[in-house]
Amino acid sequence: MAVPLGAFIAVSAVLFFIGAAGVLVRRNAVVILMCVELMLNATNLALVAFSRRYASIDERGSVFVVFIFVVAAAEVAVGLAIILSLYRNRPTVDVDEIKQMRG
Amino acid sequence: MPVGPFGLDPAIWAPLRLVIAVLLVIGLVFNGALAQIYLERKIQAIIQDRVGPLHTGPWGLLQTFADAIKLLGKEDIRARLTDKWFFLAAPSIVFSPMVASYVVIPFAPGIVGVDLSVGLLYLTTLGSMTVLGIVIAGWASNNKYSLIGGLRSAGQLISYEVPQILSLITVVLVVGTLSMVGIAESQPGWQMHVFVLPLAFVTYFIAGLAETNRNPFDLPEAESELVAGFLTEYSGMRWAIFFLAEYGEITVVSAIVTTLWFGAWHGPFVEVFPLLGVLWFTLKAYFFVLVFMWIRATLPRLRIDQLMSLCWKVLIPLTLANILITSILLLAFPTTLVPVAIANWILLAGFVLALPYFQRRRLATLRERLRTATA
Amino acid sequence: MFDLIEPALFAILTIGSIAAGAGVVLANRITTSALLMAFTFLNVAGMFVLLGAETVAMFQVLIYVGAITVLILYGVMFTPQSPRPYGLFFQTQKYWAALFVVPIAIFVALTAFSFADPAVMGEKGGDLVPLATSIFGDFAFAFEVASVLLLAAMVGAIVLVKRDEE
Repeated sequence: MAVPLGAFIAVSAVLFFIGAAGVLVRRNAVVILMCVELMLNATNLALVAFSRRYASIDERGSVFVVFIFVVAAAEVAVGLAIILSLYRNRPTVDVDEIKQMRG
Repeated sequence: MPVGPFGLDPAIWAPLRLVIAVLLVIGLVFNGALAQIYLERKIQAIIQDRVGPLHTGPWGLLQTFADAIKLLGKEDIRARLTDKWFFLAAPSIVFSPMVASYVVIPFAPGIVGVDLSVGLLYLTTLGSMTVLGIVIAGWASNNKYSLIGGLRSAGQLISYEVPQILSLITVVLVVGTLSMVGIAESQPGWQMHVFVLPLAFVTYFIAGLAETNRNPFDLPEAESELVAGFLTEYSGMRWAIFFLAEYGEITVVSAIVTTLWFGAWHGPFVEVFPLLGVLWFTLKAYFFVLVFMWIRATLPRLRIDQLMSLCWKVLIPLTLANILITSILLLAFPTTLVPVAIANWILLAGFVLALPYFQRRRLATLRERLRTATA
Repeated sequence: MFDLIEPALFAILTIGSIAAGAGVVLANRITTSALLMAFTFLNVAGMFVLLGAETVAMFQVLIYVGAITVLILYGVMFTPQSPRPYGLFFQTQKYWAALFVVPIAIFVALTAFSFADPAVMGEKGGDLVPLATSIFGDFAFAFEVASVLLLAAMVGAIVLVKRDEE
């Protein structure tokens, strides 16, 4: 008895919304980045589930997932570089305190 | 589901087989480490014109047992740590991927844990998980030297993953499959891949030396550098787990080299007695373990900037050029491997012969700089 | 009895990934969040294996656990802040967030079960060959652009963290 496709999508949805709640609620910029990665993972799960069940001839969903890996890695690198630069200017990564663009 | 020997019920045989496999792997890892610790001390001693362990047991064979008992009995010193759970978890994070690597290694025809269709990718993935453990170990120790050692080691490991994977790609281009069993089977008799792709073998071996934190790349953990780097705060059995992980990783790298370039289990009479393949595989793999130890006893250590520039400026362009030339030649001459072999040997000769030339030029530059500085 | 291995594994992986995901959001200490995030990645990789996408699972572990987790740990290490225990307790936005997120999550999770499994499921041959032929065949241009993207990200990250006095 194989696991039904809807179960994978449901797990992906719950994980995505946990990540979304984390982005809304947490104040530390690094933790927000972590929650964004959670959301990307949930998307990957949904894409791979659909790809394996509906399109295993050419696996187009999985191709998209590989490109999401690339983009997520690039995003984390640049995002952390930005956070570190911010931390150097004023020693905080609390997004409530980083309100102004200048100074 | 497979029926067990003597017609054992599959419901009992499947979990029993799993338990036996886990026990076998653990036995392999620990006994291998015991043998390697003894071999290392003896071989280093012989190369350094000493005798090595002599008194505990005949020819010092029980020395490792004495070491193990001493390590078990040491006091578990716990300094004031940044994070207790990270500190405790780090040895496991470094040890577990190494044990999990034994699943896909083909010891003999038919004796392999799982014939994954992506076996080689699985091994590189596990190699990249040890970086996490080392970063955590360095940071959780609440010690400047451990942190620097951990970050340096992580940088070294991440950098050397690239030439490692690129060298493996060359072999996959020639063989056409990522499965370890497929690669082992594609080298019957004396047609070992080392005759076709020697440059990939050399670059993978160098990258493997760096990946296992082994001399000449053992800056992060050497005893005379940074007070033993990220291992500083680990004493007794915790240090032993890191040590075991290192020796296990050396065995895994040797096993990969044996499978990919030296025809894993192939040897005389292996078609008649398939189980003899285990003997040939072990002999070949341990030969490379001995080469690891030989290099450790012979070569001096590289500084961190020399290490990094070797990776990024020498090995990565070399492996990329190797892939490019191999794939062009494979497409141009799809039926024969001879052009690939010729190109690879030429590249290898160029690599080996060009190094002294560049070293002499660099030495001349440095001497010039010294002369103008002190003049 | 062996038919129940797959649903059992799926249940374990689901509980693991959702609990770890909730832990990332709710944990007090950042380091705990980071480790739990790595654990979530491992569970999602397990689900990929359960779906038969082994190559994608290996990439997930290699990239996410091997590289992105290390990057985030660096970020955590180099931005130390005074710990604020129970910061989430005094967070006033959490009610609005819960109001927004929970109903939509329940709605999507329930309608997810309306996706029917295809009548003929693909053979369990793994996804290596179709994936490879698609990436290097139909999507070769996107592959090259992705490598340029990585190069740009690498240069950008290095430039951003360089100190000005050099």
